Amino acid sequence: MIAYEWVVWFILLLPLGAFLVIGLVGRRLPEGGGPIAVGAMAGSFVLSMYVFIQVLQQGGLGGAFVPQKIPGYVWIPSLLPENSIKISLLIDNLSSLMLVLVSFLCLLIFVYSLGYMHEEDGKARYYAEVSLFATGMLGTVSADNFLQLLIFWEIMGLCSYLLIGFWYSKPEAAAAAKKAFLVTRVGDVLFLVGVLVIWNVFGTLSFSEIQGKMASLYPNTLTPQLLTLIPLLLFGGAVGKSAQFPLHAWLPDAMEGPTTVSALIHAATMVKAGVYLTARAFIFLVPLSSAIQPPFTAILVIAAIGGFTTLFAATMAVVNFDIKRVLAFSTISQLAYMFLGLGAGAYTMATEVSRGETVDSTGYSAALYHLFNHAFFKALLFLGAGSVIHAVHTNDMREMGGLSKPLPITSKVMLFGGLALAGILPFSGFFSKGEILSVTFAAGADNAGFYWLWALGVGTAFLTAFYTFRLWFMTFHGEYRGHEHPHESPRVMTAPLIILAGFTLASGLLAYPMGGFGNLIFSGAPAAGLPLVGIPAQDYLLEGVSMGVAVLGLALAWAVYATKRIPAERFTASRGGAFIHHMLTKRYWIDDAYDAFGRTVVYDAARALDWFDRKVIDGIVNGVGRGGVVVAAGSDRFDRRVIDGAVNAVSLETVRTSLRLRQRQTGQVQSYAWVVVLGIVVVIALAFGLSFIQRWLGGLGR
Amino acid sequence: MIPLQYELILSAMLLCIGLYGVLARRNGIIVLMSIEIILNASILNFVAFSSYSGDASGQVFALLGIAVAAAEAAVGLAVFLSIYQTHGTIELDKIRFLKW
Repeated sequence: MIAYEWVVWFILLLPLGAFLVIGLVGRRLPEGGGPIAVGAMAGSFVLSMYVFIQVLQQGGLGGAFVPQKIPGYVWIPSLLPENSIKISLLIDNLSSLMLVLVSFLCLLIFVYSLGYMHEEDGKARYYAEVSLFATGMLGTVSADNFLQLLIFWEIMGLCSYLLIGFWYSKPEAAAAAKKAFLVTRVGDVLFLVGVLVIWNVFGTLSFSEIQGKMASLYPNTLTPQLLTLIPLLLFGGAVGKSAQFPLHAWLPDAMEGPTTVSALIHAATMVKAGVYLTARAFIFLVPLSSAIQPPFTAILVIAAIGGFTTLFAATMAVVNFDIKRVLAFSTISQLAYMFLGLGAGAYTMATEVSRGETVDSTGYSAALYHLFNHAFFKALLFLGAGSVIHAVHTNDMREMGGLSKPLPITSKVMLFGGLALAGILPFSGFFSKGEILSVTFAAGADNAGFYWLWALGVGTAFLTAFYTFRLWFMTFHGEYRGHEHPHESPRVMTAPLIILAGFTLASGLLAYPMGGFGNLIFSGAPAAGLPLVGIPAQDYLLEGVSMGVAVLGLALAWAVYATKRIPAERFTASRGGAFIHHMLTKRYWIDDAYDAFGRTVVYDAARALDWFDRKVIDGIVNGVGRGGVVVAAGSDRFDRRVIDGAVNAVSLETVRTSLRLRQRQTGQVQSYAWVVVLGIVVVIALAFGLSFIQRWLGGLGR
Repeated sequence: MIPLQYELILSAMLLCIGLYGVLARRNGIIVLMSIEIILNASILNFVAFSSYSGDASGQVFALLGIAVAAAEAAVGLAVFLSIYQTHGTIELDKIRFLKW
């Protein structure tokens, strides 16, 4: 139980309020309302911390924290109370951790923005949008049901569009914003379909209620096919948001926005939402009872996409010269690690559940641990890159070099971030990445396919270290190749960097005092122990392998880019090498393929539809119009000729008849009397005639 | 007792005479007199059937009819007098003001 649970609402409402205030009157405030955004975020962080500490006291450190629902209000009422859709918050181990993580990183990034965005125009717009962005992410991780999650998820999608296109007058930025919005939309549609399917099957969208209803609905309403489909649809949303293959194309282009936005998207918000959603989808992937057959196909798809994307993205990072794009590719790659860890963990857990064994949630914890660590070091790297860009006014690493002298703090914190990203002991990346790889290797015992994924992961660890230090050496080592006069960033920017650098070191070691990260994250299953203590020798070997390849990658980067003992040209000397280099530079032609798809298929389809619209639809409309005119003319003629003619004819004939009849009105009384007498005679004749005919007919009948 | 047929034949003859007078004569006074003859023909019918069926109501009607005939004759004469004063004639083929 959380004391004063209503404060949780304020975690969301503070940044939302900041958004409203800055959005309405920000232009008149100093610094475009930046201090308000920072203040709101700080409040949000303090409240998150308050909630988190209570969760820790009751759950993380022994005992089990009971997931707590904080009721809000009924949004869409229903005849059956349990079917109505409520807006309420869920506080459990996962969401409380995410709240702290998100609010803390947002706070640091906002503070950094005060320096970084100082000279920009449109600061009010920036701070309003990032505040709403933070609201979206905080809402996503604290939502109690899938619909609420989807709403905040879409708020984030909107904000990412607005922020990536912050410099909207730049055509590349506008195009990148559109790309980000459209590509993630593909995933969002899948997510939406998934939510609808869940509603159809369960009649509720709340996580806990779904979990409770699973056993009773299986396998009649919740068929095994549906159980496979639902997590895959949710994962489709995660693929779009977290930029996994094949919807990864938007993330590198999203670098067109301000660097702080990149840091926000990559470290704390947006892309992490996909991982969070997949973690929430564990209620489908790992059922509670062994009577339910877990959807192994869906799990394998998640793990395979993760495993593939991790290497796929890392290869593209190797050849890029844009400092931010290298980091963007590394984000895709690291997120893929998390999906790999979730997939492998889910596979192990599902296997154990179906066998009725106790569940070991190591993979789940490892993936979320990596999310936690990655948030810190990626925020650090992006903000560091922002500091570099701030100093040299370019993104191109070929125009950098030798910056460690003018930028001493930035270069050191970037080194910390790089070591963490590469996974070198004792920085945080080492613990979580090694954990993910060993979990994947362990899952190989259940399904041999995981050995292949493990191999991909190890290959990626090598490439990660290589491109990270390629970046570092190209930026900070050697001679300066640009034409600016670089200088260190102001303190408001370096202070968050130093804090984050501390965390890259600390977040790995934090796992120890918390009694294992799994204990913290996965309530009820505190099996995941310390990353290094009390685990079998095989795991030491696996950790050693991941560390070893990372060191090898680092050494190669040193040899190629620092000492230049191996010239970089040697790799592209052979025809095959040149081809691979070209292929990687072109990002496997996937963006080109999407563009071509857009240009040819979509554009031609649009043109065909345009033609159809102009010729057929407009033709039909015009035809109908012309037909209407013809019909109207015909009806007009009919009206004039026939109807009017008939009316005129009747009146004319009446006049003519009356004229003729007038002649009979002689005015002579006796002629009238004649007619009267004649009438009498006719009447008498008729009377007699009729009676005569009657009699005659009667006579015939007789 | 006179048989009914005779009376009816007399009545019919009177009617025909009256009709002839109405249709054929030009003088308005004679037309008026002919109408009186037609009326009397019908009154004769009343009386004849009354005596034939031994019912006195026919005779009541006859008396009533005579009274009406007298009134009608008075009205008719007044009309003709008025026409004569305005048109100077009571020749019916000269009187055409009933025409529209």
